[in-house]
Amino acid sequence: MPRLECTVNGERRRADVEARLTLADFLREHCALTGTHLGCEHGVCGACTVLVDGEAVRACLMFAVQAGGASITTIEGLGGPDGALSAVQEAFRAEHGLQCGFCTPGFVVSVTALLRESPSPSESEIRDALSGNLCRCTGYQGIIRAVQAAARA
Amino acid sequence: MKPAPFSYHAPATIADVCELLAEHGDDAKVLAGGQSLVPMLALRLTQFAHLVDVNRVESLAGVTREDGVLVVGAGTRQRVMERDAGVATAVPLLARATPFIGHFQIRNRGTVGGSLAHADPASEYPAVACALGAEMELAGRGGSRRRVAADDFFVGTWTTAAEPHELLVAARFPVWPGPCGFAIEELARRHGDFALAGVACAVGEDRAGLALFGVGSTPVRVGAAESAIVAGASEADVAELAVRELEPPSDVHASRATRTRVARHLVARAVARAREEAHAAA
Amino acid sequence: MSGTSAAGRFVGQSVKRREDPRLLTGHGRYVDDVMLPGMLHCAFVRSDVARGRIVACDVDAARALDGVVAVLTADDLNAHAGVMQPTMLMAMDGAPLRPLAARDVRFVGEPIVLVVAESRYVAEDAAELVAVEIEPEPAVIDPERALEPDAPLVHPERASNVGAEMAFPIAPELQACLDGDAVHVVTRRFVQHRHTPVPMEARGVVAAYEPTSGELHAWMSTQNPHEAKQAIARVAGVPSHLVRVESHDVGGGFGQKFFTGREELTVALAARRLGRALKWIEDRRENLIASNHARADIADCTFAMDADGRLLGSYIDHLEDSGSFPVGATGGAGALVGMLFTGPYKCPLASMRTRSVFTNTCGRGAYRGPWLFETVAREQMVDAAARAIGVDPLLWRRRNVVPTAELPYTMPTGLPLEMVSPSETLEQAVAMIGYDAFRAEQARTFAGEGRLLGIGIGLYVEPSTGMMDPMGTENAVVRVNPNGQVTVALGTGSHGQGIETTMAQVVAEELGIDIDDVTVVQGDTAVTAYGRGTGGSGTAVIAGNSCRLACAEVRAKAIEIAAHLMEAAPDDLDIVAGQIAVRGTPARAMAWAEVARVAYLETARLPEGMTIGLEATATFKAPGFSWSNACHVCTVEVDRATGVVQILRYVVSEDCGKMINPMIVEGQIAGGVVQGIGGTLYEHFVYDDDGNPLTTTFMDYLLPTTAEVPTIEYGHVETPSPTPGGHKGMGEGGAIGSPPAVFNAVADALALVGATIDRTPLGPDAILGALAARDS
Repeated sequence: MPRLECTVNGERRRADVEARLTLADFLREHCALTGTHLGCEHGVCGACTVLVDGEAVRACLMFAVQAGGASITTIEGLGGPDGALSAVQEAFRAEHGLQCGFCTPGFVVSVTALLRESPSPSESEIRDALSGNLCRCTGYQGIIRAVQAAARA
Repeated sequence: MKPAPFSYHAPATIADVCELLAEHGDDAKVLAGGQSLVPMLALRLTQFAHLVDVNRVESLAGVTREDGVLVVGAGTRQRVMERDAGVATAVPLLARATPFIGHFQIRNRGTVGGSLAHADPASEYPAVACALGAEMELAGRGGSRRRVAADDFFVGTWTTAAEPHELLVAARFPVWPGPCGFAIEELARRHGDFALAGVACAVGEDRAGLALFGVGSTPVRVGAAESAIVAGASEADVAELAVRELEPPSDVHASRATRTRVARHLVARAVARAREEAHAAA
Repeated sequence: MSGTSAAGRFVGQSVKRREDPRLLTGHGRYVDDVMLPGMLHCAFVRSDVARGRIVACDVDAARALDGVVAVLTADDLNAHAGVMQPTMLMAMDGAPLRPLAARDVRFVGEPIVLVVAESRYVAEDAAELVAVEIEPEPAVIDPERALEPDAPLVHPERASNVGAEMAFPIAPELQACLDGDAVHVVTRRFVQHRHTPVPMEARGVVAAYEPTSGELHAWMSTQNPHEAKQAIARVAGVPSHLVRVESHDVGGGFGQKFFTGREELTVALAARRLGRALKWIEDRRENLIASNHARADIADCTFAMDADGRLLGSYIDHLEDSGSFPVGATGGAGALVGMLFTGPYKCPLASMRTRSVFTNTCGRGAYRGPWLFETVAREQMVDAAARAIGVDPLLWRRRNVVPTAELPYTMPTGLPLEMVSPSETLEQAVAMIGYDAFRAEQARTFAGEGRLLGIGIGLYVEPSTGMMDPMGTENAVVRVNPNGQVTVALGTGSHGQGIETTMAQVVAEELGIDIDDVTVVQGDTAVTAYGRGTGGSGTAVIAGNSCRLACAEVRAKAIEIAAHLMEAAPDDLDIVAGQIAVRGTPARAMAWAEVARVAYLETARLPEGMTIGLEATATFKAPGFSWSNACHVCTVEVDRATGVVQILRYVVSEDCGKMINPMIVEGQIAGGVVQGIGGTLYEHFVYDDDGNPLTTTFMDYLLPTTAEVPTIEYGHVETPSPTPGGHKGMGEGGAIGSPPAVFNAVADALALVGATIDRTPLGPDAILGALAARDS
């Protein structure tokens, strides 16, 4: 079994994993970080989005072994130490950008990456950028407002 | 939805990749961005005993400018195409086509070479390559290299002219000289979906490239339509020529009739926009 | 009665949700997050044939695979299973449901074999090694085909493919109307296609059976933990007091998780038989293919009208495709379709027939407003009828809607309509969108540029709270802890509605304490009393009022204690901001926490004869009917060249009585509206003629994204409900008004060029087809 060494939310991780174990399953089962969710396992819904070396990727479409040497950030790694919410997380809360919460980690990670790259996106840029994340509860209304609020913060 | 087991290889050089592909033949598959391959593995629509991960081959990624050609390493991420100013200037069609590909998370991992080698008939890069007259560079056993014109490279749905032991190492896009205009148009059911019909159009001095996608098993070039553009025919006439012999597929997303009708509309739009840009550049 | 009532300290405020901090930081607890030591993983082998005989099933190779613990077939499980129908429908003569297919299969996706292994990866490897041989037989896929006398029987145990049928007689006066006595008689057929709820979290269960204690402990993604407990107990053969079901965070349900699914029950039974902890997490392909579908309906509608388009009589003949194994009250939804068909309009005479047929497809289940086809068919019929007689659809509605002054109004099918505001929401919505200005713009752009703009209305009334026991009741326990903080235990099953927040708002308001001192507990059958789960637009009304009733008791007792301790009269005391004080004399006050401590820990100081403790349990039973209503108005542009529909603006004017949390109300509406948009323009579950599903992944089953949806605009009207809090149910409404509003807007645009539509979805094929049909 291939050996994997990587950093997850700042912590070094080492494991022998089957090659076919997805990065998402590695995070959920080996790292006990269940905040990364599996909504489709075929790369469409975006619920599994994590940051790999700072870039938003679908964790269900990477094998854990491919992440050797990489620095991974999951939803659990975005807030402050005592459960303090990041600006993006606060904005989602203020604008009711979540209901059941299942798609939320993928959105928060994607929005965090988006705003780092593009701090003041227009509404249509927001809609385009987030079209790769599916939500079934909110109708996206609160989500778009949350991104706009976070951009202003 | 978990993939079947496979042996995993992560070689560091192109030569090592080709060795592995030669050794395992049809039992091996190149893993680049994984954005197309991994879903198919997860759905168990396909399986391979060996996956050869090329993400560690540093020489495979990178964009260089040679005389009149933009050489895009096959391992270059799609995001580079939409961010790099050099690409936007040298081969505008590449830069403009890229935002249509899926979503930014996909483009962070997906590679230019991966998209070309996957050869989905509804994807943008193969059509761009055909419209511009690009060449694919393939590496084989023992350091051999060969080039294949884009028109000859895309053979059928998910099928290219690459041999099982060959690796696509670069795509070479000619930089069109003189006043030129470029346009890409596509219709998808939703933002980021595969095109129901699409057009990549390039208009230059006494030359034109027109490749349709989503309407056949490969990108479709119609020489008569390209000649008509050069001859100054109306957009409507060009569009009529372009779709006259089309036999697009029918599926749950769009019928043959819809695809043909939309393709005609998009050709006219693309030609008009490319001409306008070319005219403005003159 | 427009405008909304003043907000209290908490009720009526858009309080931020308690649920959010854990959900935003990845600390939610969904069923797949449950990991028990020694837990095994399940995968099903499913039929790839819609109808056929199982001639062979070889599991030897699967059993021999390393890491496989058991491979179970119908022979291993079926004989041990109790009745699998939902508890309240146990006696229903429905489709014969069994854990695993035994001798035959009745839809593609039907489970045949259950594999249990050390990981889902290995379980899927083993599933591939199971060799099932099925001899295909002709399948019935089209619901109208299912009615034909020579159609194959989906369930050979039954005499026909008709699962349920109900018809009202047609009074002679109505028959005369429909036959031509009326000036205008318009008949149209409308078809709504099959689609499916698609919660972002698919179904799942962890079931752990401990043989020595005989206890079965399950975690499930469910809207209804108590129903799950009853069903598991029955199916697995475990006494229900030894079954515990927990459900913490649930990633959406929309009705698909209201009753307990076949696979969950089968896994629980398997856990019982094996004496192990088993986990089954449905993957997306399974969820699309084999989790309950919805919305496959056909209706032939007739309106008889006078010269001005006023309704004289109506008739609807409804056919519902219930698939092979429908779940829940879906046969009953047909009856509601017929009974609600005239909706908010005055209509003296009406009749109906509804039939529900079996087909060899995935079974039908509840999906956000399971009866909503009555609004789809009616509102689309309204526009078609109006257009046919040359009346603007808004004018038609104004002429026919029941005016407020004429409420209560008894619908022609006997349902009593009252305390609703359809005419007010209609006027508010059209004012917000600027109906007349839009008509002018529509004419201008068509004449000047040939572009097709359209406007559509969806007006409805919705009976909320559910009329069936036990859906009409809920139990709340309000328990004040010795330190004064309050725990509320409810039999609800929140899956996005923010119940931990809204019910805390109600309790804090009623008790006069701070919302941060109230915690809501739900989703654990060991801790909460039997409840109705969450669904059917009932929580605000039913759970909310149960909380109110329990709070009233607790409040009265607390005041009595305080009065006794302060030597004051109970009538002179108020509770404000956690202080129980003598009115007018703020210095004479006691902290709520102090009263609680006395109640538990200084019981000698209590009034003579008073029981110790400070808690109450109350049950609220909803009145037979409480109605919500809304008006949706939508404007679109239809692209003549590509067939693409773009939504320009979307307005909802809704009346759900008094709102507990306006932010949450609007969120619920928004979700429903976008599901309606998705269902009308993008989502389509497709079978080929042999019953093979063609839309089995998110690449083919298309959900709307941020790029396809408009910004929704809201208006609120507030009529009270006949319940203590004045609330009405509203969780489903957004999904009810949207499909016809979007359809009507597209139809309105196409009417500019004489093209017509009568079915959904409205993708490019449908639009271009309609335009081409007009040309030929």
